[in-house]
Amino acid sequence: MQLEIITPEMNVFSGEAEAVQFPGLDGSFQVLTNHSAIISALSKGEVKVNLTKAFEGTDGASELIQLDKSDNKVIRIDIKGGVMEMLNNKVIVLAE
Amino acid sequence: MANLKEIRNRITSVSSTMQITSAMKMVSAAKLKRAQDAITQMKPYAEKLQEILGNLSATLDLSENAYSEVRETKNVLIIGITSNRGLCGGFNNNIFKKVSNLVNEEYKDANPKVLCLGKKIKDLYKKTDNYYINDEVAAVEDIFADLSFENSAVIAESAMNAFVAKEFDKVVVVYNSFINAASQEVKAEQLLPIIPTVNENEQGAGDYIFEPGKSEIVEDLIPKSLKVQLFKGLLDSNASEHGARMTAMHKATDNADDLKRNLTLSYNKARQAAITNEILEIVGGAEALNG
Repeated sequence: MQLEIITPEMNVFSGEAEAVQFPGLDGSFQVLTNHSAIISALSKGEVKVNLTKAFEGTDGASELIQLDKSDNKVIRIDIKGGVMEMLNNKVIVLAE
Repeated sequence: MANLKEIRNRITSVSSTMQITSAMKMVSAAKLKRAQDAITQMKPYAEKLQEILGNLSATLDLSENAYSEVRETKNVLIIGITSNRGLCGGFNNNIFKKVSNLVNEEYKDANPKVLCLGKKIKDLYKKTDNYYINDEVAAVEDIFADLSFENSAVIAESAMNAFVAKEFDKVVVVYNSFINAASQEVKAEQLLPIIPTVNENEQGAGDYIFEPGKSEIVEDLIPKSLKVQLFKGLLDSNASEHGARMTAMHKATDNADDLKRNLTLSYNKARQAAITNEILEIVGGAEALNG
């Protein structure tokens, strides 16, 4: 699925992902490819992304992205809250 | 005709002014580019947020929350956004005019308070009874020193809290909206209470799963969209400022160029006249000797 993480100031990440774990208001949850349409509010926490291929780095806002030490397909992004929407295998995270 | 030295001095002074104005124009052009980029960066976020809110409002009445409550307007907060620096044409004056119009006419009886973002408007209202500041805002009042979403969110939040606490019944933002580099338009937008948006896509997206629930998401999203609205005002004002300064400096450079051309012309005329006079004197002297 296509994942996009944007803040009001920049585009933090966009790329293909296999699974994304979110800090939901009622606890952490994960969406996989072909998940049905969902809108969820997020709390402060960490978004964990399982990528389809090794992370190559993006230009610009990469200081927000933390690479997992043991697995180069996993990245983590700290957010202060936000909302996510998934529709037709396209995930958009409006983070803060 | 003025004497040569005087004109020469004026030419030098006009030239150095011209150098300054053209340098300022270049600087503003570069900053304008960056300010415009910031607006473009924010667009997808704002659009998506509106879209999700639109989806929600299809199935939920958005007007039932603390931020939409319409009360009798007894206390008004006006957030005026200007620049920190001058030399940008009518940019700040247009805001002053609009704000003072709101303070002295439209909300005359509603105890208007002005929250000042940008040094120029602060200088104007600092010493009046209308000046408004609180501790949260004071920390980020010099917003243009570090124009980030976080800082602008602090201001928006403080305004929202004051509205919910019934300290204010209406919050209006006055700013220069960016049209293009050469033109900007003064806008007075009502931030609070929220003006209910008319839902355009009627079919909505009823298939969504809402986590944890629609109303929680709405409560989460509405403050966000208000923060985005204020941030957009700030970014617009910032871009407009550089656009206005660029235009003002461009005109100043053109004027200086004209002035310099005229001065050079009169300088050359004066020089020619002096030479002619000298030749006349020499010829006259020679004639007299020959005579």
